[in-house]
Amino acid sequence: MKKIAIVLSVCLLLSAAAGCAPAVTDSEKPLVVAMELAYPPFETKDSAGNPSGVSVDFAKAFGEYIGRKVIIENIAWDGLIPSLQTGKADMIVSSMTITEKRKEMVDFSDPYANALLAILANKNSGISSIDDLNQPGKKVAVKTGTTGDIYAREHLQNAGRIELADESACVTEVVQGKADAFIYDQLTIYRNWKTHEDATVAVFIPFQDVEQWGVAVRKGNTELLDKLNAFIAKFRSEGGFDKLTQKYLAEEKAAFEELGFQWFFDLK
Amino acid sequence: MQNRNEKALPLKAALNLLLLTVIIVAVFWLSLTAVGVTFDFSFVSEYRTRIGQGFLMTLLISLASFAVSLLLGVLSALGQGSRVLMLRYLCGFYVKFIRGTPLMMQIYLFFYIIGTAWGIDNRFVAGVLILSIFEGAYISEIIRGSLLSIEATQWEAAKAVGFSHSQTLRLVILPQMVTRTLPALTGQLASIIKDSSLLSWIAVIELTQTMREISADNFKLFECYFLLGLLYLALTLPVTLITKKLEKKFSYET
Repeated sequence: MKKIAIVLSVCLLLSAAAGCAPAVTDSEKPLVVAMELAYPPFETKDSAGNPSGVSVDFAKAFGEYIGRKVIIENIAWDGLIPSLQTGKADMIVSSMTITEKRKEMVDFSDPYANALLAILANKNSGISSIDDLNQPGKKVAVKTGTTGDIYAREHLQNAGRIELADESACVTEVVQGKADAFIYDQLTIYRNWKTHEDATVAVFIPFQDVEQWGVAVRKGNTELLDKLNAFIAKFRSEGGFDKLTQKYLAEEKAAFEELGFQWFFDLK
Repeated sequence: MQNRNEKALPLKAALNLLLLTVIIVAVFWLSLTAVGVTFDFSFVSEYRTRIGQGFLMTLLISLASFAVSLLLGVLSALGQGSRVLMLRYLCGFYVKFIRGTPLMMQIYLFFYIIGTAWGIDNRFVAGVLILSIFEGAYISEIIRGSLLSIEATQWEAAKAVGFSHSQTLRLVILPQMVTRTLPALTGQLASIIKDSSLLSWIAVIELTQTMREISADNFKLFECYFLLGLLYLALTLPVTLITKKLEKKFSYET
């Protein structure tokens, strides 16, 4: 019986520890920003292994604006929204598209960029439009949980879907012809097409409405959300996004202008 | 001194089990409330066909891989004792390479390089082959270990009573091998079931991949993974129980 008493008291202690959170106010704590550092040049690591990219600079600028230290947490895509729900992170800046379904789980800031999907097709697949892809026998590779995945689920029901965990696997499948095409955002498709120009073709013809990227915060965290929206407006008017473009995306912007695409940070 | 292997009294055992269950549930529940997550399993009925198909796929892949890896394991164990030096080196290298590298890496390399080069494009076939090659190396070591554990004197004794080489193998060595390896082999089956989850990386639509796809659709990551754990346990627990039974049954051997 003595042993049981010990076990029970340990349980009580555990529950007490779980119940009382340390009394630190929000403004003193560092701001934890979650992103998947696997999406250059938005979220990636520099050669020394430190987080780097458009979103990292953007998050740090926001931290400076509200006077809080910023900690970047590298979390796999599937785990980003759960990291908000469990309080492991305060916000997500990970090139996340605002969708109705995601809105049920988190709150989004005002959009800060827009992006369109594009297709990276195998050269021998004979695909030159989205309709060529939506045929029985065609296989489309997508990264699980991305807007490309959501699009394929809803609009490419005739084609087979291959869901993979990372972007490089999707590209490999297309290069090797295991999949006919990969659906992802224009910029990534452009960059991968440039590296595999002999094996792939890129289809940039828009086939859906413009998607917009937003910063996600925990549902009901209006305090942080208000600050974010004020910051995004200020950052834009002060030319912050132009500076980020020059720093990370100069070459791509030139290519996009040549192709006649609207630039990411040019919101209509 | 009380014998620790002795069976506990039923009442005492029940009381302890009950208390343990209460503690585990309490800790889990407290953790859930601490992070503010509530479980909602209402999605399960909507997706039950897909979950069922994924479950069957995992079972099928595991059983197929178990059969093929058993074959590979036996061949490699025999090869390591072969007089042909090249064969012995090959089997030795196979076991060392596979056991010394992560399954994750093997899956990507085999599927995208060897699989593509040799035209193995079917994901199920590729998955079973990759998993079999991986598990075969471990089974090879199980078999080799028990083969080595059979004393040389037994061969001599069999020879002395006039058994031929094949008679010795069939009547003396093999029965002992079976009793010595069977518990470890069934244990390996449990590993295969768990390891098969890594095949989700090449989009084999087994249980883990099914749950990943579902959670990407409805964002119920925790519920999906919790259920995933339960379903894997439903497969591995019976296997573990069988292993225990076999261990007990053959324990008189030593």
